[in-house]
Formats: sequence, C-alpha cells, structure tokens
Amino acid sequence: MSALEIRNIRKNYGSVETLKGIDIALQSGEFLVLLGSSGCGKSTLLNIIAGLAEATSGDVLIGGRSILGVHPKNRDIAMVFQSYALYPNLTVRRNIGFGLEMRGVAADEREKAVAEAARLLQIEALLDRKPSQLSGGQRQRVAIGRALVRKPQVFLFDEPLSNLDAKLRLEMRTELKRLHQMLQTTVVYVTHDQIEAMTLATRIAVMRDGRIEQLGTPEEIYNEPATLYVAGFVGAPSMNMLQASITGGKLAIAESDVRIPLPARYANAAREGARLVVGIRPEALRVATAPTDLSLPVEIEVVELTGPELVTTARIGAQRLTACLPPRSQVAKGEKRSLTFDETALRLFDPSTGKALPTV
Amino acid sequence: MSSTWMTTRAWLLMLPLLVVMVAVIGWPLVDTVNLSFTDAKLVGTGGNYVGFDNYTNMLSSSNFSRTLVTTTLFAVISVAAEMVIGVLAALLLNQQFHGRAVLRALMILPWALPTVVNATLWRLIYNPEYGALNAALTQLNLIDAYRSWLGEPGTALAALIVADCWKNFPLVALIALAALQAVPRDITAASLVDGAGPFNRFRFVILPYLAGPLMVALVLRTIEAFKVFDIIWVMTRGGPANSTRTLSILVYQEAFSFQRAGSGASLALIVTLLVTVLAVAYAALVRKTAGSAA
Ligand SMILES: Nc1ncnc2c1ncn2[C@@H]1O[C@H](COP(=O)(O)OP(=O)(O)OP(=O)(O)O)[C@@H](O)[C@H]1O
Ligand SMILES: [Mg+2]
Repeated sequence: MSALEIRNIRKNYGSVETLKGIDIALQSGEFLVLLGSSGCGKSTLLNIIAGLAEATSGDVLIGGRSILGVHPKNRDIAMVFQSYALYPNLTVRRNIGFGLEMRGVAADEREKAVAEAARLLQIEALLDRKPSQLSGGQRQRVAIGRALVRKPQVFLFDEPLSNLDAKLRLEMRTELKRLHQMLQTTVVYVTHDQIEAMTLATRIAVMRDGRIEQLGTPEEIYNEPATLYVAGFVGAPSMNMLQASITGGKLAIAESDVRIPLPARYANAAREGARLVVGIRPEALRVATAPTDLSLPVEIEVVELTGPELVTTARIGAQRLTACLPPRSQVAKGEKRSLTFDETALRLFDPSTGKALPTV
Repeated sequence: MSSTWMTTRAWLLMLPLLVVMVAVIGWPLVDTVNLSFTDAKLVGTGGNYVGFDNYTNMLSSSNFSRTLVTTTLFAVISVAAEMVIGVLAALLLNQQFHGRAVLRALMILPWALPTVVNATLWRLIYNPEYGALNAALTQLNLIDAYRSWLGEPGTALAALIVADCWKNFPLVALIALAALQAVPRDITAASLVDGAGPFNRFRFVILPYLAGPLMVALVLRTIEAFKVFDIIWVMTRGGPANSTRTLSILVYQEAFSFQRAGSGASLALIVTLLVTVLAVAYAALVRKTAGSAA
C-alpha cells in the first residue's frame, strides 16, 4: 500500500487546464520533489493534496484512504509555505504549538513537543520572540517546526527555501535532508531549483505544463532524461544538444564534417538519414590527450573559471558546446582542441517528438 | 546642500498653506476664545468682560451634564454597533459568491447619501402615522398600536442611533474589507491545515491585520459621533424633552436660539477641548497598535 497515491488528478480553472492527469504513488518514507518551471502547476497539485484546492477529477489517497472531501486539518498532513505563513502576533512557541493547541492537546504535552521540535531545529533561544523579530532563515525554521510537531503522515513543502539567500539555502537544504533521514516521513516538496531537487529527492517528478514529463530517481532524471525538456531543465550548465543525423551508420554533427560512431545500444533505434539530437552533459566532456573515435574538434570561444571548474564555451561547426573542465585545464580562447567523452554519456533524442530514443 | 537650507526651503514651501490656515482656523479660534470671556449677545456689539463666568456657569449647569451623558451614550453605542456590524459585513462580503461585486457597491450607498437625505428617510420610516417601522411591527404582531418613535423620550435616542448606524457602518465595512484583502492567503491556508475553526481563525489570523485599520475607523467615527449635529437636527432637533440633545445641539441652542454668543462660545470651546483630548488619546492608541502589529 502506498503512503500517498495521486490518481489521474485534473484541475481546470475555468476553461484553462492547469493539471492534465497526474499519477504518482509514493512508498512510505519517500522524498518526492515536484520540479518544474513557474506556472506548471506544482503548487496547484500540492494544494490539492493539502485540501486547500479542489481537484476537478481524480483521487488522492493517504495510507490507502481517499481524502477527497476531507477537511485539510483531518488529512494527517502538515504544510510549509514559501512565505513561512507564521501567525504574526503569536510567539514562536505558540506558532509551533498552534496545530496542537487547535486540536486540544494538553498544555504540558504541547510544551514537550514544542521543546523537542525547537531542539531539533536549534531555535530554542527564539521561543519567546514574535515572527517579526526573526530573520528569514529563523522564520523558515519555525515554519518547519510547526509542521514537525504534528508528526503527520505526509509533509508538504511549497518552495520553502526560495526566499532565503544562497548560503542559507544550502544550509537549510542539508538540514532538511538530515531531518528527513532521521524522521523518515513521506515528503512532497515543490521547487523549481534543480539542485535542490537532485540533492533532496528520492524521486523527482519533472512537471511541465500540467503534466509529469518524467518521474524517476535523481540518477535516472540526470543520466537518462526521457525528453529534451528534462535534459535541458536538469543540470547546470544544461546538457549540450547538438543537431545531427545518421549518415553511413555514423552520427554526423550538422553543419560540420564531424562523424562519431553510433553507440551500439542505439543500433535499432535510429534509421539511416534520420535527424537526431545528440545530448552530452558538459561535465562528461574532457580535453582529449590522445586521438580517439569519440572526439569533437572544437574552437574555444569563452573560458570562465567558476572556482571548482572551468566552464568553457566552444564551437563545433556552426553549433555551440559547453564543457565543464578541471580548473587548471590548459585551454585558451581561440585555440582549436579536441573534446572527448565516454560513449555511455551520449544520449539521443528525436527532435520531432522531443523524446529520448529507446536503447537496447 | 546644507540641511538648514533644506529646512528653510521646506518652511518657505509650506508658508502659503500656513498663512491660509492661520487665517481660516487660527483667527476665528482666537476670536471665539475672546468671545467666550464676554456676555456678548448674538446681535449687537461688544458685551462686557466677565472672566470665567461663562465656563463655570456652563460646567455647573445640569443641562451640560445631561447633554454630556446623552452625547456619550450616542457616541459609544452607535460607534460600537457600527464597528461590529461593519466587520461582520466585511467578513461576509469577503466570501466568494455570485453577486458579490453588486452587493459591495450597494453597501456603500447609505454612506454616500447626504446626511440630511438619510435623516429624512428615517423620519419617514419612524413616522407615527404611516411609517414603515410601525407597519412592519404591527403586522408581525410585535406591537399593538402605532408608536411615535421619535416623539417619545424613551425611544428617540435609540431610533437616532439606528439611523446613524445605518449610515455609517459601510465606512467601517469598507475599511475592514480593504484590510481583509491584506491577510496573506498562505496564513489562512496554514490555519486551515492547523485546524483552526472560524473563531480562532478570526482571532489569530484576521484580527492582527484588521486591528490597525479598525483603530483608525474607530478614531474617525468616535470623534465624528461626539460632534454629531446634522442627523439629530433634522430628525428631532434635540427633543423630545431634550432627550436627544447632544453637545453640538446645545452649542447651537445657546448661541443661536438663545442668542447668548459668549456663553455659546465657551461651550464650543469646551467641546473642542473634549474632542481634542479624545483625538490625542486615540492617536497614542493607534501608534501603539501599529507598533505591536509590525
Ligand atoms: N486560483 C486560480 N485561478 C485561476 N488560475 C490559477 C489559479 N491558481 C493558479 N492558477 C493558474 O494555474 C497555473 C499553475 O499555477 P501554480 O501556482 O500551480 O504554478 P506553480 O508551478 O506553483 O508556479 P510557481 O513556481 O510560480 O509557484 C498557472 O498558470 C496559474 O496562473
Ligand atoms: Mg507555486
């Protein structure tokens, strides 16, 4: 039995279809990240799970029980909002304990739960302050604490870190991961930050325009993107996509005379003459030291040192390519070099459907 | 640029306004103060200097104390009722339903009507011979015979308060409605998930955002209610048996009906002082509310 199951959820606002049939089943303890660009329907889906919005059709089950029509307070969920949504005139202590207070939990029991959550989140010193006297990071901790004390079946997070600065976001991300590993509660987490998704998730649902584009583990999403959209959305800098075609059983990069062998696993998928998109992650590219079959002759255009890596933009024929090289690589603007990669790093897509080609 | 020049320039720019204000507010005020120390009549000139006699006479008269009580009753009850009805109306109009926009527009009507029109309207409703109130109450078997709501000392003030509420609750409702739009949707959502019912949601989620604006409405309405003149003048002229005579009516009677300009001026100044004290106290209260809400 799934901890959380979403069955063919659709949502229309007037004549606009915001969600076009979403299906997800989560095992207990999973950390699902809904990843997608702004307006793709992530919050809408989360609100439907929480009971704050009504689905047009479909069903949501928690622990095997349909919760459509059940009041949000009785769904055994807790939610953390992007804006923190703390009660402005209550102290941190009462904010955290509010859900328990509303459920009539006795004061001493409440106090114990609040103290425990405050200890986990290291906000014990802030308990008697008002939200207005806290920093953004502290507010978000309080908001998380308010969800923790309820010990729900499912945690829902709607972009909880997006109002924090970069450093704090990193800290809180690790913190959330630690909490999840400790508590093992099922989580649905909305973000449009792919690094957050990759680091936190046990599974990622990449959403686009009201549909799930791909549902899989972070490794699957990263290594085997099912569509060009997913390939481009996950990873920074994003995956190189070179126009190519099959010529004489080889991959011919468009507008160049570069030919590379077609990997054996794609042997059945591609017909002679077919137009393709070749996907290679920038991290998979390296400067060739010896001549190989899998080499891309390029001319270096721009070299940017980000610290851990040298982000290099190069031209291959008329197309552009990005490579993330080790920081001390000897490459300079204007140089002609050869970049190489492992055969397994190469992905092929059909440009007309945007889908990855099947492998054998 | 030096700050003294900035300050000088600021004063220079404000000068025309200050001159106008001194002319239209300052001079009449000084004149009224002078007048209040004389026994001047409304017509004729001068009058003799009588020191604080006007003040002591006025403050010790039973008319004054009775009028002060009437005014306070009127102000407290009508303002309290307006606040409650206004907030309830705002909460209702903040719900999603068909025809909400129309209802919101309709609600403003009583407030948009000139007071004189409103007062006349309610005189018709309260009319002892063909008034709608009498008709409604008899048809519901709540009263046996038509009554003169504005003609009986026992009911006149209450009838006035109802009329005043009807006119002024929309202002409170509008202010509250605007404040309700400012309640963050996420906090409302959080309170739903946390299991707060309607009452707790009002108390912990809505009220913090409502308190500041409502305080402003309270200040405005109390000061206005304390100075009330027009609605009473049109409906009862302070009667019957002076049961609806408020301070402003008393000032009018003293200065114009009895033509005692000096005495009227002293009373006007007493009322001004009372209202000023109220205003200052409220201003402090508003600052405190705003401070705690931030
Ligand atoms: N109450 C509503 N009425 C009409 N349309 C709505 C409503 N709420 C959301 N939408 C529409 O539904 C779509 C999805 O909105 P949603 O808030 O779920 O996006 P999101 O993926 O959470 O985006 P973001 O990353 O910006 O938060 C948007 O196009 C939005 O305009
Ligand atoms: Mg959103």
